[in-house]
Amino acid sequence: MNYILEGLKQGAALLLPPSSEILQIVALSLAVSGAATLLASLAAIPASLFLVLKEFRGKRFVVGLVNTAMAVPAVLIGLLVYGMVNRRGPLGPLGLLFTPGAMIIAQALLAFPLITALSLAALKGVARDARDLALSLGANRRQLAAAVIHQGRFAFLTAIIAGFSRVIGETGMTLMVGGNIKGQTRVLTTAISLETMKGNFEIGIALGIVLLLAALAVNVALQGLQGK
Amino acid sequence: MHILVENLGQTDGKKNILQGIDLEFAPGVVNVILGPNGAGKSTLLRLLGLLDKPGRGEIYYDGRRLSAMSRSERTSLRRRAGFVFQSPLLLAGTVAANLRFGPRLRNLPVSEQETSRVLEKNGLRGRDGQEARLLSGGEKQRLQLARVMLLDPDLYLLDEPTTNLDPLSVKNIEAAIARLAHEGKTVVLATHNLIQARLLAGKIFFLKEGRLVQAGAAAEVLNRPLSLDIAEFSAAENIIPGTLALRDGRTVLDNGRLAIEVVSARTSGRAAAVIRPEDILVSEKPIASSARNSFRGPVLAVADLGAVMALSVDCGGFVFTVFITRISCVQMNLAPGVEIFLTFKATSVHLLPLE
Repeated sequence: MNYILEGLKQGAALLLPPSSEILQIVALSLAVSGAATLLASLAAIPASLFLVLKEFRGKRFVVGLVNTAMAVPAVLIGLLVYGMVNRRGPLGPLGLLFTPGAMIIAQALLAFPLITALSLAALKGVARDARDLALSLGANRRQLAAAVIHQGRFAFLTAIIAGFSRVIGETGMTLMVGGNIKGQTRVLTTAISLETMKGNFEIGIALGIVLLLAALAVNVALQGLQGK
Repeated sequence: MHILVENLGQTDGKKNILQGIDLEFAPGVVNVILGPNGAGKSTLLRLLGLLDKPGRGEIYYDGRRLSAMSRSERTSLRRRAGFVFQSPLLLAGTVAANLRFGPRLRNLPVSEQETSRVLEKNGLRGRDGQEARLLSGGEKQRLQLARVMLLDPDLYLLDEPTTNLDPLSVKNIEAAIARLAHEGKTVVLATHNLIQARLLAGKIFFLKEGRLVQAGAAAEVLNRPLSLDIAEFSAAENIIPGTLALRDGRTVLDNGRLAIEVVSARTSGRAAAVIRPEDILVSEKPIASSARNSFRGPVLAVADLGAVMALSVDCGGFVFTVFITRISCVQMNLAPGVEIFLTFKATSVHLLPLE
């Protein structure tokens, strides 16, 4: 017990003030996960709108697929992205392996089904009424989408927060395709994992505190938007 | 707007919600779609308002076929129609924000003058700044109607707009509906409220289990229902099933205890007699008249309906409902237990074939 308290104390000391290395790791974590969440959202929001508004054959199957995709282990997505971007893979010539680019792709793939499925579930309650109202007032296609997005904005925000929280805390997949290269692809989770395994428990704790604070800060900021 | 519906049908998976609907709506009168819950009234309105796609059949709007319309033509058609939903669809925000939602959505200019005019018309003057979701049920429904009226459509589709409202709100909304028809709009009102139908309807379309059972001028449908379903729904009082028979050269409907003289081409088989409560005469002594039917029985109950009094009178085991004026009721000292005579003409009996 003592040694955990000692670790906490030393970890906190390491952050006052944080070293430039820690700051860089934090910045890269936020940038990679932020970019991945943004990419995933840009695809997930139209996808969930389509799924909630459009009636088509096999819709239930597609929705089921999206829900199932939420359960795909991150490490399998890591494997897939690794296979695509390594030198012999179809995207090999782009030289993405062990770059932030590969990490963004993998995290976006992880977040996409999650944001889609959560948006879809939350939209079901509001989308039909918003659609009926907008259509009955004479909305065209674009105006209809705008009205449903506006009515569903809380649903989307909640889903996006969940997506971001999922990817910023992800370790194994990010390590596989990013490589945890110091100064290049080292993010909070991979750094924590490495330092703890090296026996630097206090550094692990320090980074853990930062990860927690970073995740908290982004959540609070997004929820602040929701309050408006 | 003139609307013609041909063989319209809608299914929900396997179940038919609507089938084989043929009808016509004209402007200038209130077209009432009457029927019990689950008859398909809302589904029909949603199809008319282009909120859902018909599974089968065709709708012509001013002679133009729905199935041949492009997406933009359908949008412009929706812009000529206004829909009032059964449970008000209001957004978080003020009354004014809800009212202006239509124009804002479509980037239309709207003047202060117009908004206050429709608010005024719907009894919501000066309520602009109020939170819409905190309005009473009746106010919410009037706000919905105001929102539609602001866009001044040619076609009004009203889905049970007065369900669960207080009597004063109902009156206000009914007055607004009558005015719209009077102004020459095409008004289609779905309701299961018979009194409302009697009050407003120019034409009645009776739906049951997804089928159109009877359509026509309101008085025709209400007074001469074509089937027992409609009679039970629209004139719930005084429906007596029995067997037709010929006695002493007269046709009677016999239910085992009462023999009611009727006018009928048929003289055998099962049938039901429908007698409207206002067609029955009440007297203390038997009256000599041309009316062929007279029965004696005790008053069971007297109910005050406001404009008229409703008596329940037990004649040979059948409890008749009879409407009389308040004055007659007082003059005759009518109270439970008093024995009276009920008299009605054979021609007042509307016969429905059974089975």
